[in-house]
Amino acid sequence: MSSSSTALRELQRDLENKANDLSKLQKDIAKNHQVRKKYTIQLGENELVLKELDLLNEDANVYKLIGPVLVKQDLAEANANVRKRIEYISAELKRLDGSLQDLEEKQHSKREAILKVQQRIQSHQAGKAKA
Amino acid sequence: MGKPEVKGTVTSLSSMFPPEEVQKAAKMVEEKLSEKQNEMNQLKEFIADNTSLVNLVQKLPDELHHDIMVPFGKAAFFPGGLIHTNEFLVLLGESYYADRTAKQTVEILKRRGKSLMSKVDALKAEMQDLKAEASFFDSTTSEVAEDLVEIKEYEEDNSTERVFQSGPAELESPTLAEADNKMDSKLGASKDDEYARLMSRLDELEKEELAAEDDGENDEDEDEDANATETDGDENELTEAAFQWKKDEGYSSRDHGQRYSECTGLTAEPVTQGEMSHGRIIHQDSKMLNPSINASVPSEKKPVQTSKSEFDSSKAFTGSIVEHTENLEKKIPGQNTTSSESSGSKPSKPVSRFKMQRK
Repeated sequence: MSSSSTALRELQRDLENKANDLSKLQKDIAKNHQVRKKYTIQLGENELVLKELDLLNEDANVYKLIGPVLVKQDLAEANANVRKRIEYISAELKRLDGSLQDLEEKQHSKREAILKVQQRIQSHQAGKAKA
Repeated sequence: MGKPEVKGTVTSLSSMFPPEEVQKAAKMVEEKLSEKQNEMNQLKEFIADNTSLVNLVQKLPDELHHDIMVPFGKAAFFPGGLIHTNEFLVLLGESYYADRTAKQTVEILKRRGKSLMSKVDALKAEMQDLKAEASFFDSTTSEVAEDLVEIKEYEEDNSTERVFQSGPAELESPTLAEADNKMDSKLGASKDDEYARLMSRLDELEKEELAAEDDGENDEDEDEDANATETDGDENELTEAAFQWKKDEGYSSRDHGQRYSECTGLTAEPVTQGEMSHGRIIHQDSKMLNPSINASVPSEKKPVQTSKSEFDSSKAFTGSIVEHTENLEKKIPGQNTTSSESSGSKPSKPVSRFKMQRK
């Protein structure tokens, strides 16, 4: 009897650990989503800027706000900078997508493991009730 | 012709859609809806600001020089003037500015306004979807409150062998043969007006479903069989065939399963479109199918849908599908006794399933 109750306690502790891991994973997934959102917005904005820059004449003045200073920039340079930033953001998004996939898979497997532990606990309790 | 045996189960809707969970789901949909409403309000403010800015920019170059009170710090102004009234430093985004004339600025602002409008339209579409979901939940709660009962009936003909395997095509032919037998035996007994009405409604329903099905599948046999079942028009066999056919789809999780799980926000949509004219009970059936399909195809992560799969894990519904299609032969003797008791009070033809309510 006592051995089964200790086994039961162990199973319950196992369940708690797994539940904690699951909640951590879920928080990670939520953070991932947030960062993804931010990056997506930035990407959209940069694409808008690129469109406007394309519409400018060659001799138009372009300025960049660096801290409190508005610095005059070359149109070509500004174009190149914006394009590079767009590439960087897209790469970041792809990386985040990959890690999101991983996290989701882990979450899924954790859930299954939790289910299994729960089933074992139930069978234990059923066995104890009978005995 | 073998002896037709009628088996069935009677389940109350409240056991399948527990009222608290339906309310929870309804609340979540409402929250999402209010969030979208807030976003919509914000976007509308932006659009208003944009238009007023366009007006201002158009008016400024009317004068070479404007006399104004210039704000100075937080709480002071001093008299000053606006010069170079045709030159604007416009923010392009991401801390990039450009010198533009008034006309060019107006063009930039108009383009911004257009993109805002497209965002508003997208939001409106999302809100429509959410509203449809919310109304579905409301109707579910009201139906659950009315204590409606779902009655499933299965008829089996001992002479025809039932093959409940994959493939709706196979399923169609045994039920079709059975429908023939049934029609001969039952047509003499059934002559209600309501019966005819229901039959015609079910014909429409079958056509719609099969039209939707044929879009997804290129199975001609199924098409022919389906048309044949339509023209046969025995109500119960049709609904039964439809129900079992749909169950089989869900169970075998083919294209249909994927199609259902593909429709993200509204799980009810694709099925209910095919069954709008059908009775409420079947509506509920198809709605229930979706959660079971979703549970078996775990690709969605939306909270509403997880709440639906929560009902599943606690309900026996998915279990009953499995039992039925796998162990039909064994289950039938068991069900026969219960359904014969419950059908004792019903007329010989199980027509009044749409009317039956538990008191």
